[in-house]
Amino acid sequence: MNPKTILSISVFMLIFLSRSVGQDTTDIMKQLEKEMGKSEKEQTFYTTSTFKTTRLVSGHSVENTGKRVMDVKISHRFEKLNEGSYSLFGLDEARMRFGFDYGITDNLMAGFGRSTYQKTYDVFMKLRILRQSRGKKNMPFTLSYVPTFALRTLRVNVPGISNDFTSCASYTHQLIIGRKFSDNTSLQIMPSYVHRHLITLNTDPDDVFAIGIGGRQKLTRRISLNAEYYYQVTRHQLAGTNNLLSIGFDLETGGHVFQLHFTNSQAMNESNFIAGTSGKWGKGDILFGFNISRVFTLGKKH
Amino acid sequence: MLKRFVILNFLILVLASAALAPVLFYNVNSGSISFRSDAPMELIKASSSQLKGIFDAAKKQFAFSVNIRTFSGFNSPLQLEHFNENYLESDKYPRAVFEGKIIEDIDFNKDGLYYIRAKGNLTVHGVVQERIIKCELDIKDKVVSVKSNFTVLLAEHNITIPKVVHEKLASEIKVEVKAVMKEK
Repeated sequence: MNPKTILSISVFMLIFLSRSVGQDTTDIMKQLEKEMGKSEKEQTFYTTSTFKTTRLVSGHSVENTGKRVMDVKISHRFEKLNEGSYSLFGLDEARMRFGFDYGITDNLMAGFGRSTYQKTYDVFMKLRILRQSRGKKNMPFTLSYVPTFALRTLRVNVPGISNDFTSCASYTHQLIIGRKFSDNTSLQIMPSYVHRHLITLNTDPDDVFAIGIGGRQKLTRRISLNAEYYYQVTRHQLAGTNNLLSIGFDLETGGHVFQLHFTNSQAMNESNFIAGTSGKWGKGDILFGFNISRVFTLGKKH
Repeated sequence: MLKRFVILNFLILVLASAALAPVLFYNVNSGSISFRSDAPMELIKASSSQLKGIFDAAKKQFAFSVNIRTFSGFNSPLQLEHFNENYLESDKYPRAVFEGKIIEDIDFNKDGLYYIRAKGNLTVHGVVQERIIKCELDIKDKVVSVKSNFTVLLAEHNITIPKVVHEKLASEIKVEVKAVMKEK
């Protein structure tokens, strides 16, 4: 054998040897990778932060308030932009709602609020039935049920309209099916049913069915673009009403979420904005609004 | 001449097999990792008991990892959410890893307390940093108990803190690792 060949074999073997006892941790990393994969399959990882807060714009998102967390919400909807500069594009006047949401468990929250729009009180509950997760329990989407009760306390002096309890009450039932598709993109659909006793015209329906669709696209880590649209499926919708369309931004800073948006409804409770929106985007009946959400952790720390 | 090379190669072979022969792996049986952020206005603590790791005694190599989503604790659910969403971005960077080699030579068959240094790459938030981390090994009947305290600078791992939370979040996070390793 040629000494040169032997030398090169020696060198090759030396390199091989030094490699195998050196810093190269590829083998051990492969083993660890396997072990991590195995342990991750034995656990359930729930999807979090599908949306930044429990509301998309006016309507509910698929998000729940954390357990023992109180979310104080203050919302405003100004007047229509097309009122022009005389009323500073609607900013002269506003409808306001304040509300308190509370997480009873991780999957059940309840809340109430009062809105200056028709002096309406509302109470709701949000129950998360299925939760998007991966790992041991694989669930592609989250499903929530949200019943809402609203009571108008504004007295109207219109003949034929009574101001008694049943006439002023309205009920909304919503299912929310939502999915976080990626870190940045979440979508949800909201089949909704609104029932009211108070009807002004004979042709007005007691019941309205609507399908909502909404979503968010994160623009930066702390800012997202949101939109929601409720399409009234019912043949007979309330006279003079339109479908709700809202587009807005979520800005998150520490414990606050600021939501700034444009919408065609002044109402901030379900029965009114799903089945009673009078504004029309095409005509410029767009109004500016905002929600401020501030969360407080009550009770024992986790 | 030829003979010498043959002998040299033979020696290398023997050496190589000697170095590779006693394949002795230790696996993390139970491992926990906890961290605390001690800021002027707030103390935040969280931990995970899902620390996994492997140690190859022959090569003196180790690799440890934890899934970021397994951390719990915190002062509020929102804090946990921000931890995953805004700071660690755990959907993008699901695991933290420390892999490398032990500097000191120790006899794992001999019971006792050893203070060693582990040199390797620490990956947090997708950013790799070369680190030398001191560890305490307590060996008893071939069971190795590992304990280590070290710090992680958020800035070194590209984790930025907004100005408003400077008083509530420390820039240097104290980490404690505890693991019991047994022969595989």
